[in-house]
Amino acid sequence: MNLIDKYIAEVGKYLPRRNRADIEAEIRSTLEDMLEERKQAEGPENEAMILELLKEYGPPRKVAESYVGPRYLIGPRIYPIFEMVTRIVLAVLFAVALAGLGIALARSSVTGPEFLKTVGESALGFLSGLITAFGNIVLVFAILERVLPAKEFEKETEDWNPAELASEPDPDRVSFGEQIVGIFFLVLFLVIFNLYPGVVGFGFFNKSDWVFISPVLTEAFFSYLPWINILVLLQIGFSVYLLRQGVWNKGLRILNIVLELAGIALAVVMLRGPSLVALTPEQLAGTPLAEAAQVFTRIGNLIPSLVLTIVVIVSSVEVAQMVYHLMKSRPSSTYPVMK
Amino acid sequence: MENDELVQNMLLELRRGVLSIAVLSQLSREEYGYSLLKALSDKGMEIDQSTLYPLLRRLESQGLLQSEWRIADEARPRRYYVISTQGRAVLSKLKREWSAMAETMKQLLS
Repeated sequence: MNLIDKYIAEVGKYLPRRNRADIEAEIRSTLEDMLEERKQAEGPENEAMILELLKEYGPPRKVAESYVGPRYLIGPRIYPIFEMVTRIVLAVLFAVALAGLGIALARSSVTGPEFLKTVGESALGFLSGLITAFGNIVLVFAILERVLPAKEFEKETEDWNPAELASEPDPDRVSFGEQIVGIFFLVLFLVIFNLYPGVVGFGFFNKSDWVFISPVLTEAFFSYLPWINILVLLQIGFSVYLLRQGVWNKGLRILNIVLELAGIALAVVMLRGPSLVALTPEQLAGTPLAEAAQVFTRIGNLIPSLVLTIVVIVSSVEVAQMVYHLMKSRPSSTYPVMK
Repeated sequence: MENDELVQNMLLELRRGVLSIAVLSQLSREEYGYSLLKALSDKGMEIDQSTLYPLLRRLESQGLLQSEWRIADEARPRRYYVISTQGRAVLSKLKREWSAMAETMKQLLS
């Protein structure tokens, strides 16, 4: 391998695979032309000549950069939404950690080492939660960055009309922030219930020990999980498609209603079926909650039903709104469907 | 010294703006990268390889240029670029715009 080969290989390292070979061939062809010219002027080729040539052509990384342009993990177009979601999630985590610390301090003795230990443990727990949450947010947004078409955002900027400031928002326009936040939480749901079902539960400090009660999710829950997953994945797919389209149309609204109805149907089936969590008084034994174990287990076991009932009510209201919208909506959107 | 640097940076920006027109104007006859570089430089328009090649690729992806790899006289493959029909149309518009802009600048600076 001569110097020119090595130089080109070095540039290639920083080029995207897609057009690496082509750019490399072009650089080689140019370098050979330049070398040819020097040979005519200065005599036969030698190492110093090549070194000077490569020096003039520039550092490999810089040469590669001039072809590629800046590359982003999370680009400027979705960065503002990324920042907003991060702030909300981190604020919630912080509030939860503060509340946890307050409870823990109230329960522990406020003397020297105990106090420091409690604060230290809370801080460590908060830190690791922070990193996990941040990692997940970045992951979701990095994927969105690669899935969402660039044109979409340009179009939105181009179509901007100052009159919109005074008018009602166009009901057919897809709200980007809403969909992206929605996708984020759906992915979070998938990750938690499929990969870390153990973290579903609640925790508190008992004296200085952190007690975590994870109401064991029952077999009944896991028998529903594949159906929940299918619905969640469909919903994510639908949201991504919606973002690519940019505007609602009749077909998309009907599809959305169908998805919501499927969700309601599943929620109703789950409500009527066997219990989804099995929290027993034994799990609470030895904790301050043990005295009222009966009451707490009952509440714990009620929570899934409560959540499902809320899901059914909220979804029903949404379906009603969408049906109403469909009935009174214009025959088709005045906006062209964006591609 | 500081002023020199400012001037250099502004000149760089100025030149970057007109390079597309300069390149399109020299490709009515096909050229490979290095010969184009020379042609531009001979006429007083110095340009870096690291600027020219990405620019050629961009103009091609916009449909203003066409290119093909070919082995010519010295049995070494080279990529030859030539202006496309669309490129010609765009260039003629740009020429008019440039003349108008040059005229405006002349008035502003006199």
